[in-house]
Formats: sequence, structure tokens, C-alpha cells
Amino acid sequence: MSGALVSLQDVALGYGGVPVLEGLSLDIRPGECLALLGPNGCGKSTILKAVAGILSPIRGTISRAEAGSRALKGRPVLVGYVPQQDTLNLAFSMTAADVVEMGTYGGLPLGRHVGRAERARAMTCLEQVGAADLRGRLFDALSGGQKQLVLVARALASAPDLLLLDEPLSGIDAPTAGAILTLLGRVNRESGLTILLVTHHLGGLRDVIREAIWVHGGKLLRGPATIMLAPEQVRAILTEDFLS
Amino acid sequence: MSLLLEILSPDFLLRNALYGGLIIGFVAPLVGVYLVGRRMVFLAVALPQVSTAGVAGAFFWHALFHQGEPHEGDFWLALAGSTVFTLAAILGLVLWDSRSRGRADERTGVLYAFAGALSLLLVASDRIAEIGILGLLKGEIIAIPTDELLVLALGYAVIVAALWLFKKDLLLVSADRDLARSFGKNVPAWDLALYGIIGTTISLGVLLVGPLVMFGFLIVPPLVAGRLVTGIRYVPLAASLVGGLTAFVGFMISYKLDWPMGPTDVALICLVLALVAGAQAAFKFLSRGGRGPG
Repeated sequence: MSGALVSLQDVALGYGGVPVLEGLSLDIRPGECLALLGPNGCGKSTILKAVAGILSPIRGTISRAEAGSRALKGRPVLVGYVPQQDTLNLAFSMTAADVVEMGTYGGLPLGRHVGRAERARAMTCLEQVGAADLRGRLFDALSGGQKQLVLVARALASAPDLLLLDEPLSGIDAPTAGAILTLLGRVNRESGLTILLVTHHLGGLRDVIREAIWVHGGKLLRGPATIMLAPEQVRAILTEDFLS
Repeated sequence: MSLLLEILSPDFLLRNALYGGLIIGFVAPLVGVYLVGRRMVFLAVALPQVSTAGVAGAFFWHALFHQGEPHEGDFWLALAGSTVFTLAAILGLVLWDSRSRGRADERTGVLYAFAGALSLLLVASDRIAEIGILGLLKGEIIAIPTDELLVLALGYAVIVAALWLFKKDLLLVSADRDLARSFGKNVPAWDLALYGIIGTTISLGVLLVGPLVMFGFLIVPPLVAGRLVTGIRYVPLAASLVGGLTAFVGFMISYKLDWPMGPTDVALICLVLALVAGAQAAFKFLSRGGRGPG
């Protein structure tokens, strides 16, 4: 896997044993900022879930960087995951701070609880996304955009090596979407955080990502953002998908 | 005041019943928080019924094959029946869930109906009529032998320790399964661990207080706590306090009025829930200046 954080090799993905996508290969290397693009229903979220470890492949292998690699200093790859919709399923009300603190659970060993350091990190992440004032508010009572910001903060609170975002810009207003994209660009540049973003909103992406991957005809087309997001390229891919 | 002093006296005749009720009152809601939180309330109705059927089944088996023998080991026999039936039911439901597309609540409903019918049929078989299972079904907690109380206390201490040790993992797989998987957690294994904790809590508790009281303390205190506190960190603590205090006050009322303790506890905790819900509705109404919703 030649230094990749996550590597998909000839992978088939699907649900209930029925493949939706086959023959996928993809390397995600440290420091990359990638967007996974394509029309609705093409399998973008399925690929992201597989990279996140939520969905197991039907065939092929998905490998994460080995624990001994230099970049990871002897620990497994930590993934920060922002779902398409909030996947919280608890009957009790949780505050935004509760939700963000959950992001720290992945790095804590068995039997250790969230302490002062984890709470402070959660608060820092809320500040980082500009949502510190939501801390004590009930998550269920937040707007779609506010929930998205809290979920991004939760993903950052896991101190991830790889940040995976599933449609983080859908259903939110333009200023919030712009703020999220700016934030992602900044954390990628400043801390070298590896980012894979699923979206079908192309506006503003070119300023943030370096490479784009189109899910096209069941295959992955990867290239520099300047080429893959060029209007003629976008038009060609989407027209072909529409006609097929 | 004299009633309180009498109940708290170390020589109080029914002290074991008080201690047993308190242990269940404080601990059962800690487990119930997960049942309510995961919207598995129906399971909390069915499993105590299954546990009771296990007790009846164990006594029936004993009466059938060991007629005339003394019943010194009744408690252990009942515990074995209760545990085997409860854990088998949990395992069966988990396997059924993983292989079937039907609704989980339908399966739990069928389980409840079957377990309830089985308990009554076994009791009606007149082989075990004198063993006191009818008292168990009614929730009459009067005489709890000290050794049985010790087993309950030890078992529940282990359960509290497990809940504390695995709190973050159990909460994670209960609240957000996708996030748990992305952290590399083995979600089915954690589910099984939680179900094991739930099953053990129920099979131990049902032996002493019966299915009605068990269900009441598993479900209602977490519902009260969910209305009283904000933030998931405080809900288990609040639920445990509500359960424990209700068990104590319920015991005092049942002793004073000579009512059966179990139904008194359950009626009281439901009354507490109604009062809290009513007070919240009144507060909302008043904070809107007396205008109705909308």
C-alpha cells in the first residue's frame, strides 16, 4: 500500500451480499485532501462507509496503515467520521458538548472515561468550528447547519489521522457551507490532516481540495481538482451518467 | 418519624426486604437507562416474564423428577432456571434479529405472550403450587433470606462495576453504531455484553421482586430522569437516585398501610412520573403566558 493511510484493492461493495460497486482500487495518502464526487445514488457514501470501516467489503481488501508506520507512531489509524445525517439514536436528549465528547471515545483505552483533557479538547473543537456557543444546547433542538458543525467538531475531537465527511454541505445554508469548506481547507493546510469529502456540491470546492475522484460508471476516475472540476469535464461526466 | 426509626432499626423484622428493594431500586434503573435509551422498552416487559417462566420451569422440572425431596436448594434452582431462560431468550432474539427481516418488537411481543402463557400453565399444573411462585408473580417481597440477599448484592455489585467500566463503550454502541464501527469497535460483541448485563440483572432481580417490580424499576426511573436532567452524563445517576428513593418511600407506605410492597413501589414511581410530567406541562403552559401550544 506504499505509505497509504487506507488502501482499497479490487474491492466489491454492496448490501446484503449484493455488490453495488466492483473492482474499486483507491489509495488515500497522508496529507491529501480529496473529494469524492458523483450524482445521487452512484455509491459515494457506500465507498466512504467502507473507508470508515462501517461497511465490510464483499470481496477484495481494505487495509489501513500498519501500526508500526512512522506517521502513526505505533498506533492504529484514527478515523473521524461525519455522517450524512446524524446517526444518533438515543431516546435521551444529549447536549452538543455530549455529542462532541463522544468523538474522544475512540482514542480512550478500555475502562478509561472522558476526563478533563477530553472535555477540554471537545470544547476546543467546538470553538474551532465556530460553535462554542452551542455547547449546552440540546443537539435535537439545533438546526441542520448547527448539527453539521457539531458533528464536524465531534470528528475533529477524535484527533483523527483521516477525516471522512459524507455530504457535509447538504441541507445547510450557503454561509455555513462556506465556513465548513474554509475550515476543512485550513485544517488540511495547517495540520496536514488527511481529508476525504463526499459531496455533490461543486461550488467552492476547487479552493479546498487538491484532487477529485468521480464515481463514474461504477469506476473511480481520479485527477487534479483543476482538471476534474473543469466545467467541460463535469458536464461530460454528468451527461454520460444521465444518458446511461 | 417513629415509623422511619422503626424501619431503620437493625432489628427490624423486614429489613432484608427493605435492603433488597433498595438494591434493586438503585441498580435496575442504571441498566434500564440502556433499554429506554435504545428504545427497547418492550424487551424490559418480555424478559422479566421469560425469567419468571424460567423459575416456574425449574420448579416444574424439579417436582417432576425429584418428587418428595426437600427444597433446600430452591433459590439456586430458581436462579438457574431464571438465568438459563433469560440468557437463552436474549441469545435467541439476537440470532433471530441477525437472520430475519421482521420487526424486532413483533418478535419480542411473541416472546412475551409465550413466556406469560408458559408461566401460568406451569403454575396451573399444581405441581408447584406451594412453592410461592404466585407470590413472585404478585411482587410480594416479605421474607428475603440473608444468603439470597447477599447473592443479589454481590451480583448487582458486579453489574454496577461492569456498567462503570464499560460505560463509554456501551453508550457509544447504543447512541451511534456507525461512529462505534468507525472507531473499530466490535458492535455485535458489545451488544452481547450489554444484553448479558441486562439478562443477569433481570434474572437475579425477578427472583426477589417478581416481573412487575423489575419492569417498573427498569423503565420508569430512567423516564423520570430523562425529564429531570439534561445531558446523558447525568441521566443514569438521576435514574438511580429516583429508583432508590422510590423504593424506600414505597417500602414505608406499604409497611404502614399493609399493602404488597411491589405494586406499591410501581404505583408510586408511576405517580412520580405523572407528577413530573404534569409539572413540566404546567411550567411550559405558564411560561407561554397561559396560551396553548401553537
